[in-house]
Amino acid sequence: MRVAIKLKPVDVAVVGLGAAGGVAVLPLARAGLKVAGIEAGTFMDPHSFKPDEIHNNVRGLLTSVPKANREIPTFRDSPSSPTRPRISVHPMMNAVGGTSIHYWAQSWRLKAWDFRTRSEVEKRYGASAIPVGSTLEDWPVTYGELEPFYDLVEHEVGVSGKAGNIQGRMVDGGNVYESPRQREYPMPPLRRSGYNDLMDKAARGLGWKPFPGPAAINSQEYKGRPGCAFHGFCSRGGCHISAKNSTAVTTIPEAVKTGNLTIFDKAQVTRVVAGADGRVTGVSYLRDGKEYFQPAKVVLVGSYTYENSRLLLLSQSKAYPKGLSNNHGQVGRHYFGHWQGSVIALFPQDMNVWYGTPAQATLVDEWSDDNFDHSGLGFIGGCSLSAYTERHPIEAAAMDTFGRAPAWGSGWKKFVRENAGRWTSAYIQTNTFPYENSRLDLDSEVKDPLGDPVCRITTGPRTNEPRALEFVQKKMEEWFMAAGALQVIRRPAIGPVGPITHAYGGTRMGDNPETNVVDKWGFSHEAPNLGILGASVMGTSGARNPTLTVQALAWRTADRLVQRWKGIAG
Amino acid sequence: MSDIPRRRLLAGVALVPVSALRSAPAVSVFSPGQKLCLEAFANRLVPHDENGPGAVECGAVEYIERTLGDPNVGGKEAVVAGLEAVDALARRTYGAALAELPADKQDAVVSAVEGGAGAAGFFAMVRRLVLEGMFCDPSWGGNRGYAGWDLIRYPGPRLAVALEDQQVGVAVKPFRPSGGARGH
Repeated sequence: MRVAIKLKPVDVAVVGLGAAGGVAVLPLARAGLKVAGIEAGTFMDPHSFKPDEIHNNVRGLLTSVPKANREIPTFRDSPSSPTRPRISVHPMMNAVGGTSIHYWAQSWRLKAWDFRTRSEVEKRYGASAIPVGSTLEDWPVTYGELEPFYDLVEHEVGVSGKAGNIQGRMVDGGNVYESPRQREYPMPPLRRSGYNDLMDKAARGLGWKPFPGPAAINSQEYKGRPGCAFHGFCSRGGCHISAKNSTAVTTIPEAVKTGNLTIFDKAQVTRVVAGADGRVTGVSYLRDGKEYFQPAKVVLVGSYTYENSRLLLLSQSKAYPKGLSNNHGQVGRHYFGHWQGSVIALFPQDMNVWYGTPAQATLVDEWSDDNFDHSGLGFIGGCSLSAYTERHPIEAAAMDTFGRAPAWGSGWKKFVRENAGRWTSAYIQTNTFPYENSRLDLDSEVKDPLGDPVCRITTGPRTNEPRALEFVQKKMEEWFMAAGALQVIRRPAIGPVGPITHAYGGTRMGDNPETNVVDKWGFSHEAPNLGILGASVMGTSGARNPTLTVQALAWRTADRLVQRWKGIAG
Repeated sequence: MSDIPRRRLLAGVALVPVSALRSAPAVSVFSPGQKLCLEAFANRLVPHDENGPGAVECGAVEYIERTLGDPNVGGKEAVVAGLEAVDALARRTYGAALAELPADKQDAVVSAVEGGAGAAGFFAMVRRLVLEGMFCDPSWGGNRGYAGWDLIRYPGPRLAVALEDQQVGVAVKPFRPSGGARGH
């Protein structure tokens, strides 16, 4: 039997210092709690970030870290389908700062409707409009309750953008569909490229209300870090000047400054340990081949969606024979991957979207959530539309030839010579919901080198999301044509395949312990001193990127812990 | 992020976990015959013509050799088997290895492979590798003399970008440092 090295007890052990855990440590440390931040990756040197498409995007060498790659989830299209071959690089990475190092940093809030989708849909369209087979519930948290935490994160981390609704007052140039915010963003939007301006004008011509995308990227100097240089290697790359506000350069160093956060890097958490009374007592981790036990009064699990469910399922004990906090069989349930789609467009002139960053975007929100009448459409929700910059040369030359040229030879070469810089792609994010037929569990065959099963993703068919996506893709085609495109192509509306960067559920938040793992504050319904951070607690996706909401929720969970320390820590 | 095509590619050219292997053994990826076949194939995908140099001149094959010789990158066996199948097809159809055929017959073989003849998935895999070799940072062995980037008017990486280089319809002045731009 292995004997773990027992460490000095701490108040709070946070598993994972990424976008979620990296935020939660700050309010905890500021409140004077002793925090152990346990992270499987290590510190990244900004000088190692490369402006290199092969490195970042083709081979995923920044994200391709050993721990994550040994645990890539398997994927099945349905419970009776065979497991598909695994992808070779985990979409998320392990590092101090986690995937916030290489994400697109699009940082918009969900809207009030996203938190109350079921009741809002039933009220406006009737109960029969709820997608068949979905396990959709209203969140136990309202937008209004989360708003102060959105505000805290936007100002602490630093978000550039333009408000559209300040305390109910509509602001020209911002997103008029957003739910009310208490104040303007801390920084103006990222600068507008020519392509952004072109798309903005075209959307206005259609009567829509486009706006600049909010981004956790500095548009000007903020807290001693410079504004974005728009060099065009932001996607799957780290920022060489720390203008992208990953937790590695924002909340984590701030928490370290308090003297209350100790970071244990290269530490792979293998189990969360629970006592016979059902309370968690700490976490076990491996570092350099040695096993450690970190005792803690409270444990916050903030790894990624797949790893959150996996870690709970692996952490079996007398009190939790089916996995930690899983006595109601809800861990892994209500999983969904964000439905995303694309439309590509060919223009008659050079678009010069080579540089910039995907968050340098012109966005349209007319066709998401319940911003239009869905009567008779056969779906609920919709999609946000994004016209963005950053294009790399291999990707550009690997373009669709729009039926205008062969795929090789002199005809192809002539075509790409003219057109590789003349096409753009839209990014379309769909309101996605949980379904009975989709879940995470432990794979019955594939194991990591420690002998622990990896996470297995099972999804099933659905009709709502593809209908919504196809409907909104047509709007995107309209938008491109209004901007002067010669031709557009709608990519097939297929769901996410395998593990992806926008993964939700598995430890859903809700008042009912029969259908949810954590309560409205993010703490387990079963183990009172266990909290869960990340999109794994989210019950709807919204039609937009998850990270800002994940961070607001993480801050709120940490704040709750500070407010109710004695009650939770025991 | 929407990057399904990239992920599909990675699924095809499987990476071995980074931790598994570190140093590349100095062995040749291709036999001389396989290399001739690959060069001929690549030069039909991107021929030397009035629009500039062909794939081999641009270093695309050197890129592919380096890439498949990297123990962290998979796919070598599939490419080797595919090249053997291409030469077998060329011999069966025209009585000679691909590299020995005139351009029009080479094109006919490449067309057949594109249509599904030979090893499954080979055409897409090699086309993708050739594209990488044509348009990568030159430090990876391809895009020699920035010929690929010049072809598509990609102005090249730079550490800070001015707003005037982000305008529609303007010609952006290329930045072509010697030796590629592997670091900041």
